[in-house]
Amino acid sequence: MVRNTGIAVLCRAVFVCFVFSLLTVFSIDVNPASAQSPAGRDVSQGESLNGAVPGNTTGGVSDSEFWRQVRSGAAGGLVPLVQSQGDEWSRWRGPLQTYGGWILAVVVGIILIYFAIRGRMRIEGGRTGMVIPRFSLTQRVAHWVIAILFVILGLSGLAIMFGRFVLIPVFGKDGFAAIASLSLQAHNLFGPLFVPAVIALFITFLRGNGFKMHDLKWIMKGGGFFGVHASSEKYNFGEKSWFWWAILTGIALSVTGLIMVLPGLGFERGTMQIANVIHTAAAILFMAVGIGHMYVGTIGIEGALEGMTRGTVDVNWAKEHHDMWYEQHADEATPDVAAAEAQAADGKV
Amino acid sequence: MNDANQSGHAIPWFTDFAEGPLWYVAATVFVFGVLWRIVGLLALGRGEDKSVPKQSGMAGGIKAILLHSVPHGGFFTHTAFHVIAGYMFHIGLFALLFFAAPHVDFLRERVLGFGWTPLPDWAFIVAAQISFAGLILLWVRRVADPVIRRLKDAHDYIGSGLTFLVMLTGCFALQESRPVLAGIHMFTVDIWLIYFPFSRLMHAFTFLFSRYYTGAFYGRRGVTP
Amino acid sequence: MSDTTAPQTSAAPVDVPSAVRVMLDQMGANIATWLDSCLHCGQCAQACHFHEVSRDPRHSPAYKLKPLVKAYKRHKSPFAKLRTTLGFPAQDVTADDLREWQELIYDTCTMCGRCTVVCPMGIDTASLVGLTRTAMVAAGLGPPDLLATADRSAEVGSPLGMTPDTLEDRIEWLADDYEVDIPLDKDKARVLLTVSSIEAMKYPQSIVAMARILNHAGEDWTFSTKGYEATNFGMLSGKSDVAAKMLGRIVNAAESVGAELVIIPECGHAYGALRWTGAKILGRALPFAVQHITEYLADAKAAGKLKLKPFAESITYHDPCQVSRRGGATQAPRDILAGFAQDFREMAPTGNANWCCGGGGGVAAIESATDLRLKVFGIKMDQVAETGADTMVSACANCRQSLDAGKEHFGWDKDIASLVEIVADHLDE
Repeated sequence: MVRNTGIAVLCRAVFVCFVFSLLTVFSIDVNPASAQSPAGRDVSQGESLNGAVPGNTTGGVSDSEFWRQVRSGAAGGLVPLVQSQGDEWSRWRGPLQTYGGWILAVVVGIILIYFAIRGRMRIEGGRTGMVIPRFSLTQRVAHWVIAILFVILGLSGLAIMFGRFVLIPVFGKDGFAAIASLSLQAHNLFGPLFVPAVIALFITFLRGNGFKMHDLKWIMKGGGFFGVHASSEKYNFGEKSWFWWAILTGIALSVTGLIMVLPGLGFERGTMQIANVIHTAAAILFMAVGIGHMYVGTIGIEGALEGMTRGTVDVNWAKEHHDMWYEQHADEATPDVAAAEAQAADGKV
Repeated sequence: MNDANQSGHAIPWFTDFAEGPLWYVAATVFVFGVLWRIVGLLALGRGEDKSVPKQSGMAGGIKAILLHSVPHGGFFTHTAFHVIAGYMFHIGLFALLFFAAPHVDFLRERVLGFGWTPLPDWAFIVAAQISFAGLILLWVRRVADPVIRRLKDAHDYIGSGLTFLVMLTGCFALQESRPVLAGIHMFTVDIWLIYFPFSRLMHAFTFLFSRYYTGAFYGRRGVTP
Repeated sequence: MSDTTAPQTSAAPVDVPSAVRVMLDQMGANIATWLDSCLHCGQCAQACHFHEVSRDPRHSPAYKLKPLVKAYKRHKSPFAKLRTTLGFPAQDVTADDLREWQELIYDTCTMCGRCTVVCPMGIDTASLVGLTRTAMVAAGLGPPDLLATADRSAEVGSPLGMTPDTLEDRIEWLADDYEVDIPLDKDKARVLLTVSSIEAMKYPQSIVAMARILNHAGEDWTFSTKGYEATNFGMLSGKSDVAAKMLGRIVNAAESVGAELVIIPECGHAYGALRWTGAKILGRALPFAVQHITEYLADAKAAGKLKLKPFAESITYHDPCQVSRRGGATQAPRDILAGFAQDFREMAPTGNANWCCGGGGGVAAIESATDLRLKVFGIKMDQVAETGADTMVSACANCRQSLDAGKEHFGWDKDIASLVEIVADHLDE
């Protein structure tokens, strides 16, 4: 492991950040293999050092004057060896983990409870066999690309974020070290692909996602989730909100992610730490709503998924979920599924 | 691969297995399976064509091998997605397969006995990203395109899925710090190699013959389609 | 479409074993490799005129190969025996497969070969569909009207019922009416001219045109009542016995007049049938050379035997698939037009990538394919409109017939003409 440039160093740098927390302050070239050193664990869990020098460094007692000099760069190098902002970063990280974990758990809990009580939202009128083109091939490609990246980046990100609490008990420290390593690599490799994917998502789904007055009515009716029919155009208020939510958090994730993954661009450590905090927060916000989206798009609402696979939806589904859109496209309804799919593929939606 | 000493981790039995016995089985199945399939196809033979050729069939065959690598006949605007995503995937995969430093090491130590200059790390990561992007795009299209949905069978997904897994586990092992990760990568490679001769992955070899036969057919007619 | 054919065919028994045997008998290394290579990428659909107008995924060329692929995987693939031995053989072709695929193999494929151009594996779908047709016939399937046409050509000498007597009458009448010398059954001649019955019955002036040109070029030529029909509906329909019979007649006629050269008239598949598959069906090299009429004209023009007055109107050329892409006579008509046509405009795409007329491969003779075929004409209208040309010429009577049907159906305002007739009308005598 040489290489002073590019992703190799960054990979390690980010990895080290996550796994060793404060230990990075003292050493830039930590061997990942020492991931299980007791010091690393102690420090990253934020326990008090009680004046002891962290890690396996020789010497027993800290000297506040000495450390001040180290911090300011006076003790030997031109560069400060200790970067105080790291303390700030570590103060953010803990709460982010705690509250972030709770947010995601609550979202999953709400979905489970809703599903237990109300079950799958069926097409009330049953399927008619008549379909309407809904999503173009370009839209579907853009959607599934970002969906695949969501899964890869989401899982690897969660492993990096919560693996210490969730995975160590299951796989042991050695096992988690491997998972942390693979998650880091996957996250860094797939991360940059997320940026063009977000841009493609924005371009292909922008039309029809502007908020309008009638969206208020949809909100008043609880989005149709509680037995009251809520009218909507091609996208309802929930879908529109999710679109903008995904785009905004996606932009935040992209910008902060690039800052962290491209140290060659000259970002300072402090900038990266801020980026890391924003990245974590944005990821939790993105995932929390994303999980809900995955639920309604698959098992939550019957007939929704095929719009994103085949590109067409059943007429009754359209009437029940997007009646205003249906009215505009009623003349396109056809029992010729192949023709409708071809029309959707051509982008005539 | 065998960096147990560098990282201070014992090589787990799993990695030993994947890089040892299973690797030999997989390599054997791959080599003999591929040969069997190619020889089996070619041995079917073709009757002699007694028509008077306008031009050389062989020249036409070789021309077709090259020509069908690029869009021609005015189709590019219609097939740009396939062509671009296809090239992204294949070029990236080629770069990964033969120019990633660990792969060059592996080929030198375990297969060929000689090596060559690998790509620098950053280039190899970019190649991986391009390749993944291409594969995901092709995959997604397979799900969404009505024509491909009609043509597809399970092997389309198994083949591309296994290839994806091989690439993904390779990405997982990038840090080269954990022998078990290298072992998982090697395991998927072994499975992929065993599956290869029985699957559509064979197109990596059969494209030569398929294009050649067509090129020869057209070459005799003086046509380069 | 299948509504009209299904009741007729589903009642009839389907001889699957014969169909499979016919498939396997012809499955050489090239066929097997093609069947082995398809990656299901679907790009071929972009090249198929039938898919282009119907957008039905069943019309993608790769899908049409399915019965043949099944037969290959079950019986011929290098791992077929291993799979059977291990107890999990691949699925075999079923009667339902063949019934369902009849429409795809006949009504929606003209064997134009355009999909091969776009195929990254270079799979020759046209040959594979032709092969599947022979299996369909062996199974007792196939569109009744096309098969009847083939049988009629075997029985009376021509698909449109042109017997040797009819030919004789017709030639006599044309020679008188148009005051042109049309030799028939000369004892010896350097060139044997053949005719497509579509021309003889629907466009008789084309025979006059060919005669005028050959006479103008000072050629020693003749028609023969022993073998005159160039079209081969045996080949189009998949009836191999009929194909061999039709071919034998021409070979017989050519040998009896001692012809060095057999000229194929303006007909696409007739050219391929004799020029490229004749030797295979005959089992030996043909004892004469074969030229499409456009090739003959191009050579005659190059040799200075063809003096032409310029053709001033705007004109574009429709490439008959079997003459250009699958025949190799792409350049000949362009050589003829060069310098002669003052305002020649190429279509886009053109030459070996040109769109099919929609009626090739016997599809023009299949009633149930009419709707789709007419839709395909829309592509041609667009192509011609883009060139801005007033006249579209082709060098295939079958194309011409299909294009004329489209013109009539849509009330199209452009002229459709024959290249040979235009040349004949502009001979400088």
